[in-house]
Amino acid sequence: MSPRALFFAASVFGLMALQTPAQADVDPEALVEPIAEYKLYVLDNLDQFVSHTEKFTQAIEAGDLERAQALYAPTRVYYERIEPIAELFADLDASIDAREDDYEHGVEDPDFTGFHRLEYGLFKEQTTQGFTPYAKQLMTDVNDLESRVQDLTFPPAQVVGGAAALMEEVAATKVSGEEDRYSHTDLWDFQGNVDGSQKIFELFKPLVAEEDPAFVDRVEKNFAAVEDTLAHYRHETNNPESGFVSYEKVSETDRRAFVGPVTVLAEDLATLRGKLGL
Amino acid sequence: MSDRPDNTSRCPFTLDRRRFLQGLGAAGAAAGLGGSAWAGSRDDAAGAHAVTGAPVSTTTQQSHPFHGRHQQGILTPRPATGMVVVCDVLARDRAGLERLLRILTERIAFLTQGGTYPKRDPSYPPADSGILGPTIAPDALTVTVSLGASVFDERFGLANAKPKHLQRMTGFPNDALEPARCHGDLSLQICANTHDTTIHALRDIIKYTPGLLMVRWKQEGTVPVMPPSPDLPAPSARNYLGFRDGTATPNTDDDALMNALVWTGADPDEPDWTHGGSYQVVRIIRNFVERWDRAQLAEQEAIFGRRKESGAPLSGGSEYDKPDYANDVDGQITPLDAHIRLANPRTPGFEKHRILRRPFNYSNGVEANGQLDMGLLFIVYQADLEAGFITVQNRLNGEPLEEYIKPVGGGYFFTLPGAIDEHDVLGRSLLEATAPHA
Repeated sequence: MSPRALFFAASVFGLMALQTPAQADVDPEALVEPIAEYKLYVLDNLDQFVSHTEKFTQAIEAGDLERAQALYAPTRVYYERIEPIAELFADLDASIDAREDDYEHGVEDPDFTGFHRLEYGLFKEQTTQGFTPYAKQLMTDVNDLESRVQDLTFPPAQVVGGAAALMEEVAATKVSGEEDRYSHTDLWDFQGNVDGSQKIFELFKPLVAEEDPAFVDRVEKNFAAVEDTLAHYRHETNNPESGFVSYEKVSETDRRAFVGPVTVLAEDLATLRGKLGL
Repeated sequence: MSDRPDNTSRCPFTLDRRRFLQGLGAAGAAAGLGGSAWAGSRDDAAGAHAVTGAPVSTTTQQSHPFHGRHQQGILTPRPATGMVVVCDVLARDRAGLERLLRILTERIAFLTQGGTYPKRDPSYPPADSGILGPTIAPDALTVTVSLGASVFDERFGLANAKPKHLQRMTGFPNDALEPARCHGDLSLQICANTHDTTIHALRDIIKYTPGLLMVRWKQEGTVPVMPPSPDLPAPSARNYLGFRDGTATPNTDDDALMNALVWTGADPDEPDWTHGGSYQVVRIIRNFVERWDRAQLAEQEAIFGRRKESGAPLSGGSEYDKPDYANDVDGQITPLDAHIRLANPRTPGFEKHRILRRPFNYSNGVEANGQLDMGLLFIVYQADLEAGFITVQNRLNGEPLEEYIKPVGGGYFFTLPGAIDEHDVLGRSLLEATAPHA
């Protein structure tokens, strides 16, 4: 489909209450089950991440540029979903997902590796030539990440705070289109972040729903607004697997249309820890 | 309401204490030993405080009333710092716009008068950035809300109520407008005695308007502070070209003059809701200061039409004396293309084109060529945009000063009438004038 101007339903976002929020009286025991479920979600995504990374890196090693380009975004989605946990391992996060801006010498920096180093080769230089070492390194790092996460006890505050952290990611680097500046596959990452945030919210929602139904209603409506906007830019609106158009095709107006609900989600989800007494 | 005791009594004490410590010498040395100020006696801590303690101001309690027929920040004496923040309105409908105006009114009413924020459970984000401490001092803060022409599109049902002269700014011949620093739905002019007070106000407004406003561009500026002057009126502040700026500004104590020149309302073709508002023009005017500093003093003075040191017109006298063009029709003394002569030829009937200047100097960073990116954050108010800025700027096109300046951003806005009391909301007259019929 072709992108078109988006108009949200009246007053969906921005209804954030300004008064001091009420605090739910949450039994710490009640957190155990959603945390366990979240770990399963993360491990499941990691499993997918590993197998997709295998195919992606094999394509690079085989010199199949077109296939490697096609697999770049669908592979990253799994990482973007679980960033709150993945980022706990700062060394791996840097080697897997750092951007050239993180290095003084940019793409020429010898420490610059991972997805965005490969993105530069595949989409800017249009080649797989010479990228086998980066591909091998990425595979090693991703395997390392999976084994480290398996051994990890998930810290509740990190998990719950992850819902807001993912929206901050969207607000800071996705809306501007700087995350995937060569492949322009930002909407994939955008969707990954939103999926990951929404998953956390859904898991903990039962613990806050009774205390603050207005909060739950507002967050759900804003997630729906973001989802609506994203759906407009899918190749097939109702098929999440179909992938997204290039972020270059998203108009300035529509980029701004993301900002409203994303900002309100970031503000609202930032209170989730408080609501759960974390 | 104060974040610290009365500073007038505190200041001398601090100075005495500092001198006392310097006299002792030994105490100062003790404080200098790695980190000992923290663990040492009270005197040690005071020695360290002399370096890291907050600078003292005696004007943090200055405040301007928020409520009134006109908004503050126009006739209000210009404080030392100011910024213009231009936003796009993200609200998608009229209800959202109404909510935005209500929240802005509440936030500005609070911030300009000062006070405290509600305390929250520490597991929540705090209600305030906290950069001014737990109690907010007004610090002469003003926040002035104005609307751009783009707000009067189809989104909010305001299309039939656009002020007569409000339009999207178009470039003048010497302009090099950068899209990222131009136009926008809503401008906030935020001014205060200290920079941190303006930053605090901006962060508060951003925090309390999620989903409603998105910052599009921002320009901060300053005015050089001067010691109290025995002269009345006080000399005008200088711009970054070293010249006094604002000398010919109309007398703001003259209500009739302000009603004629600044406040919209006299023109029967203007919508009624605009009465008490004003047209705001913002221009980011880069100054090529390195080149300017290499220009002859005589050339600089001829370009402006004033003496650099005193601000006096080239025809003689002191800063506030009127330039004499009547005896200088050929421009032998004040060149015909001097800035002040073009801007205001002092001819009969030209009074109606005068504008109220309220500019700040800005300094941003460095250009790729190593030259400083600084200049004038030009802000003016007028009752009639066409008769005011646009007429004056068209007269200035091609002036010799253009070699040293380059307007790169800005926009035209309409400053809303004031909120008259605590039940009123900024923009009420506009919303009422455009209310859908039941």
